[in-house]
Amino acid sequence: MGDADVDQAPAASEADLHESSADSDKGLHTEGNCLGVISEGTCELVIDPDVALKACQEVLEKVKMMHTGVSTEEDDVHCSDHLEHMDIHDELVNGETCDTHKTEKSNVYTDGNSINSKLRHSKASAPSKIREEEEPLPGSCNTVKNVRRRQKNNSAKQSWLLRLFESKLFDISMAISYLYNSKEPGVQAYIGNRLFSFRNEEVDFYLPQLLNMYIHMDEDVGDAIKPYIVHRCRQSINFSLQCAWLLGAYSSDMHISTQRHSRGTKLRKVILSDELKPAQRKKDLPPIAPAPELGLSPSKRTHQRSKSDATVSISLSNNLKRTASNPKVENQDEPVRLAPQREFIKSLMGIGKRLATLPTKEQKTQRLISELSLLNHKLPARVWLPTAGFDHHVVRVPHTQAVVLNSKDKAPYLIYVEVLECENFETSNVPVRIPETRIRSTRSVENLPECGITHEQRASSFTTVPNYDNDDEAWSVDDIGELQVELPEVHTNSCDNISQFSVDSITSQESKEPVFIAAGDIRRRLSEQLAHTPTTFRRDPEDPSAVALKEPWQEKVRRIREGSPYGHLPNWRLLSVIVKCGDDLRQELLAFQVLKQLLAIWEQERVPLWIKPYKILVISSDSGMIEPVVNAVSIHQVKKQSQLSLLDYFLQEHGNYTTEAFLTAQRNFVQSCAGYCLVCYLLQVKDRHNGNILLDAEGHIIHIDFGFILSSSPRNLGFETSAFKLTSEFVDVMGGLDGDMFNYFKMLMLQGLIAARKHMEKVVQIVEIMQQGSQLPCFHGSSTIRNLKERFHMNMTEEQLQMLVDQMVDGSMRSITTKLYDGFQYLTNGIM
Amino acid sequence: MAQVEKKAGLLRKSSASKKPLKEKVVLMYDEIFAKDDPAKNNPRFWEELFLMRVNLEYLEGKLESLDGDDLMKIKDNVNSLFHHCIQALGEEHQIKVVNALQTLCALLWGVHQKNKSTSGFDIINMLMGFDKAELRMKDLMESLDTLLCGEGSESLKSLCLKLLLCLVTVTDNISQNSILEYVMINSIFEAILQILSTDPSRRQHGYDAVVLLALLVNYRKYESVNPYIVKLSIIDDETTLNGMGLVLSQALSEYNRQYRDKEEENQGGFFSAITNMVGSMFISDADEKISVQTNEAVLLALYEAVHLNRNFITVLAQSHPEIGMMSTPTTPVPTTPTTPSSMDVMNSAELPLDPNLQTSNLLITFLKYSSIVMQDTKDEHRLNSAKLCLIILSCIAEDQYANSFLHDDNMNFRVNLHRMPMRHRKKAADKNIPSRPLACAVLDLMVEFIVTHMMKEFPMDLYMRCVQVVHKLICYQKKCRVRLHYTWRELWSALINLLKFLMSNETTLLSKYNIFQLALQVVNLFNMFITYGDTFLPTPNSYDELYYEIVRMHQVFDNLYCMVLRLSTNTGQWKEAASKVTHALVNVRAIINHFNPKIESYAAVNHISQLSEDQVLEVVRSNYDTLTLKLQDGLDQYERYSEQPKEAAFFKELVRSISLNVRKNVSLNTLSQDFLLKEFSSIS
Repeated sequence: MGDADVDQAPAASEADLHESSADSDKGLHTEGNCLGVISEGTCELVIDPDVALKACQEVLEKVKMMHTGVSTEEDDVHCSDHLEHMDIHDELVNGETCDTHKTEKSNVYTDGNSINSKLRHSKASAPSKIREEEEPLPGSCNTVKNVRRRQKNNSAKQSWLLRLFESKLFDISMAISYLYNSKEPGVQAYIGNRLFSFRNEEVDFYLPQLLNMYIHMDEDVGDAIKPYIVHRCRQSINFSLQCAWLLGAYSSDMHISTQRHSRGTKLRKVILSDELKPAQRKKDLPPIAPAPELGLSPSKRTHQRSKSDATVSISLSNNLKRTASNPKVENQDEPVRLAPQREFIKSLMGIGKRLATLPTKEQKTQRLISELSLLNHKLPARVWLPTAGFDHHVVRVPHTQAVVLNSKDKAPYLIYVEVLECENFETSNVPVRIPETRIRSTRSVENLPECGITHEQRASSFTTVPNYDNDDEAWSVDDIGELQVELPEVHTNSCDNISQFSVDSITSQESKEPVFIAAGDIRRRLSEQLAHTPTTFRRDPEDPSAVALKEPWQEKVRRIREGSPYGHLPNWRLLSVIVKCGDDLRQELLAFQVLKQLLAIWEQERVPLWIKPYKILVISSDSGMIEPVVNAVSIHQVKKQSQLSLLDYFLQEHGNYTTEAFLTAQRNFVQSCAGYCLVCYLLQVKDRHNGNILLDAEGHIIHIDFGFILSSSPRNLGFETSAFKLTSEFVDVMGGLDGDMFNYFKMLMLQGLIAARKHMEKVVQIVEIMQQGSQLPCFHGSSTIRNLKERFHMNMTEEQLQMLVDQMVDGSMRSITTKLYDGFQYLTNGIM
Repeated sequence: MAQVEKKAGLLRKSSASKKPLKEKVVLMYDEIFAKDDPAKNNPRFWEELFLMRVNLEYLEGKLESLDGDDLMKIKDNVNSLFHHCIQALGEEHQIKVVNALQTLCALLWGVHQKNKSTSGFDIINMLMGFDKAELRMKDLMESLDTLLCGEGSESLKSLCLKLLLCLVTVTDNISQNSILEYVMINSIFEAILQILSTDPSRRQHGYDAVVLLALLVNYRKYESVNPYIVKLSIIDDETTLNGMGLVLSQALSEYNRQYRDKEEENQGGFFSAITNMVGSMFISDADEKISVQTNEAVLLALYEAVHLNRNFITVLAQSHPEIGMMSTPTTPVPTTPTTPSSMDVMNSAELPLDPNLQTSNLLITFLKYSSIVMQDTKDEHRLNSAKLCLIILSCIAEDQYANSFLHDDNMNFRVNLHRMPMRHRKKAADKNIPSRPLACAVLDLMVEFIVTHMMKEFPMDLYMRCVQVVHKLICYQKKCRVRLHYTWRELWSALINLLKFLMSNETTLLSKYNIFQLALQVVNLFNMFITYGDTFLPTPNSYDELYYEIVRMHQVFDNLYCMVLRLSTNTGQWKEAASKVTHALVNVRAIINHFNPKIESYAAVNHISQLSEDQVLEVVRSNYDTLTLKLQDGLDQYERYSEQPKEAAFFKELVRSISLNVRKNVSLNTLSQDFLLKEFSSIS
């Protein structure tokens, strides 16, 4: 601690200064979007913007002078870079507390320095607390000391760095960036330790980057990262598996001989061998501890269960196992920690592989359903979907709901998965299996929702017409009063029987009056009811997913819940996942990260652009899972099923031009369109045909399939030269070229681009690190990163940027290649 | 079948040739049949006996030669033998167990052969003695239970099941078999379940276990509380139920496969026959040749499972690859209760990978089986089978859960039903059948039945059931607003043709049946479509087509109306039944009377003699609004199936014939099981 204290003393005072500089920065920024934060604040103190500005500028001057004096190293350039942007990080790190801080600090400038010291006190205590947490961590002591020592040696610039690192503004994005850029082992080691202080979710976002660095960069970086990874692996099965999968996937580009001995492969083996168990598990889980003695205590059984279930056998219900004893698994306590989940994933992938061998969609679908029904026998087990945002156990796969997705030679498929939410999937007990047959008790005849209208309603809802049919002949023989009511003779056997006779007949018997209905009404009702549900798609054996995806998610959940033996449980949830086998999802993951980052930037800068990053799970270099976008179908499917133009489809789905529903949908469309146009431009997303663009129920478009990004393009045909896909159909939905919405669209794009440019580093960093050691086609060539950076146009003024956007929009509109490409897709893949 | 008999014959001969040598075991049998206690001179007599290889033929022959009185004389020795057999079952030495089991079979069988008329109690007395009977049977059942559930040899288990089957089928009427009272008290139900729920044992003994269960359930079904009924109705263990489903599915698809093989065989001959003869009339002949013996025992087991156990319905939809299409090595004839060997496709954790393999489930297999069985209802076995099939379908059609998967849009299957070759229609190409929800297949099967059975020997009962199945399905669709994409037109025209047939054969049919019941059912089906069509028809056009079909075939309805009117006005026995039909026809007649003049005037105005379908539909469409219909009560109600009292007699007869069949096969089998003994003698 001694070293650190010495360092900290001067640092603290300077940090103070810097904080004020940061704040002054904020003052400058208030010209832009951030102004909103302050003006929206609830404080009564009104800040005189002029005074604040002046104070800020003064501080800034000082900072700049210091910079020129000290910083020569690359690190420091970064450092200052970051300091300039610190306000933003501050906001990120502090989150909500940010506002109050700011108002407090504004006080400092307006009311003098009285609160300054107080502020300093609170600030300085924070980093040291973090350090206290760090110290006792295994293996970290030495390196921390090393870092300290080195830092002392070149104290001048290191102090800058250290102050940055220890300030609250230092966030995970910066940490990753320094880890990657810094050549100093000390700095790397320090950041490695610093990782422990970030929230798990923050680090998880950068897990692909961390692991890729671990695999492909030099020893020091690896050593710096490893303790953190190991620590997290011990904590969580999920993290262990994620690491193992990513390590496998990102090692795959290495030469086979080096791969075997690489650090990544070794770590992967260690993880998978399950050596990284929590050391003090027993202490952690006191309720489980007494279990072993009891042999058949619930926790014990679940453990056994999850193993046997996930491997081969279907566990027998106990009442049948009268004679057989089951000594095999009794004594093995731990080695199954990862096994059930791995088996689960493996069997899902196995299904995908086998499906790929079948020639027709129909066969694939049938096969999928029967495979899944077998899988069901092994559930529930201690398995989960890694794409979900909460802890749960998978209890059932409603196999008949699964669909095969459209793909020419592979067989990606979409499954729905019933799960039970739980506190912690590692420690909570695996739910007890409820046999499929149990549904019968919960959904017997009596409870079946009566969808048909009753006799009464029927009579009243039809306009009861006078018998004006002139042909009296038809009625003459009938003595209506005598009309006998036909009733089955025996109907008292059980309560089932009674319920079978719907209420209608009983009520109508009382009113002896014969009821007349018009045939025309029946016919009308029929066509009305059919017209009423135009939103369901026709079933098409060649496109089985269309119907399944079109069904509104809530409705699907309700339907599946009704049919599930687990549906009555309060913690029942429905998830869905696309299983991809034979596809490399690493690029998808990269795209997901970039999208997520862009979304965060736009949110932060308050640009109302809408994009939907969907979660990606990379399992190996040729398999993985995707979280499906719910309530969305591809534009191809929309057009094929509805046979309407996109605009007409909008009108059909949402209502007329002037309705609020339509206007909302249109706005959503524009905002998402602008968002994705930027994404497509920045990432150079190609292969944009209508099968790869989804339309959701609210009117948003969502681009999927990022198989061709950055430097790669499909078959190198040189098609799709325009910046992004903007067809005249899209423009029609926006209200045409002259409409307000189209201008709004361009304005959004400009704002989005400016915001993205401001945080370019954060975006580029994600891509740049992943390029390390990668053979992915998106990194083909040497100029990927340079080109990416260029697309942010750092050197342009806003006016120039605006022109650029206009140009790109015009270019895309006029672009024949887009149209050509659609035609090409139609010819080769039948996509409209 | 013949082969097995031959084999048995051979074995008989070989053992017969040894006869003059007087094996030791024969000498020992002789001692038992003497009056003295065989253990008197040789205290180790019984021990030695079971070490000896059984000579079943001799033992059975000896027993058969004795009648009740003779037997009473040596009662003590027989009792002793029985007692020691049971004791031997507990032996560690497997050869003794095997011998004891076989001896017991022979003993039971032999004693019953000669004393069929004797009351059950006397037989119990002869075998065990009244005072000891309860104890002996308890021991026996417990031993069998232990053997069946234990880890012992599979052949041993198989023998146990044979003994049990033998025990159950010694009398023609199972309910008169008093020994079974002890089987009721000392249940082996759990053992049967265990066989069905574990993999290797199911593969080998599943068939016997299922048949045994089906028979036991039918013991004094209507008179007393049968614990097997109670237990079967409450099983909810999926593994067991699935196991049972697999066994049944396997047996049925084995039948389907054999039928198809035969059909293919015959087809060659049939085509060559065609080339030889012009204007062939031999189709029906050729068809008759294609008859594989039906297996009612399996159907009965399926029925009991579906009828008694609500949970079993889910098993019907459990998908698995089509078993019949799997590797098809020569499989044993399914009518013998030896277990089919190609059983286990399912047990491998992974499904086999074959793109040609259709996914199937028990229900599909059953529907195919039904389509074969229903083709020909001439002989009694087949008539019974067809009836049982329809009864099972009724049960399924009443079940809400079954209906939900029958109509599940996500569960589409191609079901290749067998269609009877008929002169006036081409054999539909199998490949063109689209993949549809299973309800379509059920409807297809019903339509097929309706179309193909309008013959002199009119199966009235089957027709009633068939129309009821359709009615139940439509009730579900109406209730849950399921719009099945089915070509209803086929059903309509089949039903109208049925009405036509009923009328043209009025006199012959009326002498035997109440045809008005059937006519009423059919007319009410039309009423369902007319008044509730909006709730379940797939398109507005289908409603128009319904009217078109009724108007087109108006003569049939007119004639029907005339007939029922005639019979309801005079005071014959059919007055009431006929008048019901009269009332039911109200809407149909309203439609005919409304549209016919409109169509005629349309033709007159436009000077067209023959209106096209489209033109008629146009007239229909434009004239709905002036048509008034009457809402009829109770259209969507039906009487639920109940076995008692209506079907009791049928099941009694059925069980009797199954018992006979099973007994025949068991005895054949026990005799031909010498190879078993060899297995054990080599072990020991």
